[in-house]
Amino acid sequence: MFLRLLYESFRRQRRRKLLAGVAILLGTTAVTAMLALATTIGDRIHQELAVYGANIVVTPVADSLDVKVGGVNLKPANGGAYLHESDLIKLRGIFWANNITGVSPELRVDSVAIVGNMNSAPIPVKERGLWFDHDLGGLRTGAPQLHPWWKLTGQWPQLFKGSDTFQVVLGASLAKRLNLKVGDGFILNGPTQQAVDGHGQASAVGIVSTGDDTDNEVLVPLQIAQGGLGADNAVSRVEISARTKPEDAFARSDPDKLTGKKHDLWYCSPYANSIAYQIREAIPGANAEQVRQVEQSEGTVLSRISGLMWLISAAALLAAGFAVSAAMATAILERRAEIGLMRSLGASRSAIALLFYSETGLLAVFAGACGYLIGSSLAAWLGAKIFATGTATTFASIHIATVLNPVLLPIVVGLALIVAIAGSTPAIRQALRMDPSSILRADA
Amino acid sequence: MRVLEETLSTPGTESVISLNAVTREYASHGNVVRALDSATFAINSGEWVAITGPSGSGKSTLVNMLGCLDRPTSGTLKIDGTDVASMSATELDRFRADKIGFIFQQFHLIPYLSAIENVMLAQYFHSMTDESEARVALEKVGLGARISHLPSELSGGEQQRVCIARALINNPPILLADEPTGNLDAANQKIVANLLGELHRYGHTIVMVTHDPEMAALAQRKIALSHGKVFCHPTSSSRMIRLQR
Repeated sequence: MFLRLLYESFRRQRRRKLLAGVAILLGTTAVTAMLALATTIGDRIHQELAVYGANIVVTPVADSLDVKVGGVNLKPANGGAYLHESDLIKLRGIFWANNITGVSPELRVDSVAIVGNMNSAPIPVKERGLWFDHDLGGLRTGAPQLHPWWKLTGQWPQLFKGSDTFQVVLGASLAKRLNLKVGDGFILNGPTQQAVDGHGQASAVGIVSTGDDTDNEVLVPLQIAQGGLGADNAVSRVEISARTKPEDAFARSDPDKLTGKKHDLWYCSPYANSIAYQIREAIPGANAEQVRQVEQSEGTVLSRISGLMWLISAAALLAAGFAVSAAMATAILERRAEIGLMRSLGASRSAIALLFYSETGLLAVFAGACGYLIGSSLAAWLGAKIFATGTATTFASIHIATVLNPVLLPIVVGLALIVAIAGSTPAIRQALRMDPSSILRADA
Repeated sequence: MRVLEETLSTPGTESVISLNAVTREYASHGNVVRALDSATFAINSGEWVAITGPSGSGKSTLVNMLGCLDRPTSGTLKIDGTDVASMSATELDRFRADKIGFIFQQFHLIPYLSAIENVMLAQYFHSMTDESEARVALEKVGLGARISHLPSELSGGEQQRVCIARALINNPPILLADEPTGNLDAANQKIVANLLGELHRYGHTIVMVTHDPEMAALAQRKIALSHGKVFCHPTSSSRMIRLQR
């Protein structure tokens, strides 16, 4: 009988139910789209801001080298020391290892280049050893990943073990100064190498334009720079790109002064500070610091966008709630006689409330599920539009299976239920307060 | 007052309804309106009582209280031995489902449910539905062949008989009929009157509100209301037999 009454209420009040359903659908579509964007926007913004470089820099505690990112000097120079390249694998074992998306170690060497024949005058050049496409415990990473704005002509160097020659990439300004182009060879020797010993035969496989000091450098595989310096396994600086949580007051807490649960909460939050802290713990002699410019930009952008999204979601849900309330009030008014009759037959208030709440709940579940599907598609489309990479984006090009976040489904349906129940409660309460005898007589 | 109460109850018979100084007041525009004024009477089990009176005399107020849809402002109202004034709203709902069967002037059938489903609706809110029982109830009121018809496909008399079947389905001790023939033509009025007479013979207690003197005459006793006050008159049941003929 319950199902019969439920079915008939949908069949007989199709327009009212449709109105309420559409309101819930629109609300949940907006909420799903906003939630889906909010949950992925951190990654998207991180990807976008990754063009500004790493957000964590690791240097030896007693580093003598400048910490520069994008030309900004972040650290005064002091005494020299090196990190061990072999220690970098420990980054894959820290608590937030999966949030580390890129690692780029470097080793700077003051070298000389001899272009032409052996009698040519050696020209001092800055040599920088880097990873270009390195496998760090399953994470393929390197300098090109962390510096996506570098414009390369040719290819990145590869290391061929046992070969007398090695591949390098020249900074655009240096290439011009040395009058070298892709495919040319020259001698590149580090401080411990002599031109006469046959080492240092470099082959330029690419020319890179970076817009910074790198334009005057020679980029070589890290191992070559280590050989030139005579310091195997040495790394002078590591740039790390990590997905982080926007910085807040708690993020700036001193972990050593936090106790118990607060320390655990700080440690287990993906703040750039806490990831840097974990890196310091993992790598002996390392000083890891967040690059505030990038981190703060990311945090500011994220918090503003998130705030806007929450505002839109709340407004959409509120509007849906009002629409449901209006639709239910009308629907209940139309069924006053029915309610009066049910009461006179001994139906308790809770039994009648259950009937109406079931109607609303069923509507909310259906409309919420539809809103979830449409909202997910909308989020995918909006995401593709906002973070477009130049390719045309259409609904047809979005694969729904790849944009559905199953975690959102219960959340969205739950929100739809809350909104529908909250919206219909005033009307249902009013219906239950009505005097059944007056309803029955008024109907007569 | 005690004398009146004693005269209204048949000695040695159990009162299924008893009112003692029942008053019902409403607030209206800052004033207190006394819709029922110290009503004291009793109705015995198996009795057929007609409640009559002009508009505004307090009939609706009295029916609402007898039907457990309202509670007295003061006084004691006992139905089947239970004081309903002290019951919570939830208890009153349950009590109403158990004790009262309503027969309405306007039938109040759910238009989208068939005759049998309308009867089963009362079962649903009482305990659980039983289609065979509902069918038997409809057969008893002569609608065995019309069980799957919608109210719109039934005549006024047939609709009222569905309403009677619905009122009877949970076997309540009291049938409360509010102008049961007020919307019927003479032929259907006769059918419904006969049906009520038959129910009375089977021992049902019937409390019937009516404007119709002929219907009121069928009852064993008439309770007249005027300006919220109760006046009682014994009535012969001979008229009912005459109507049946």
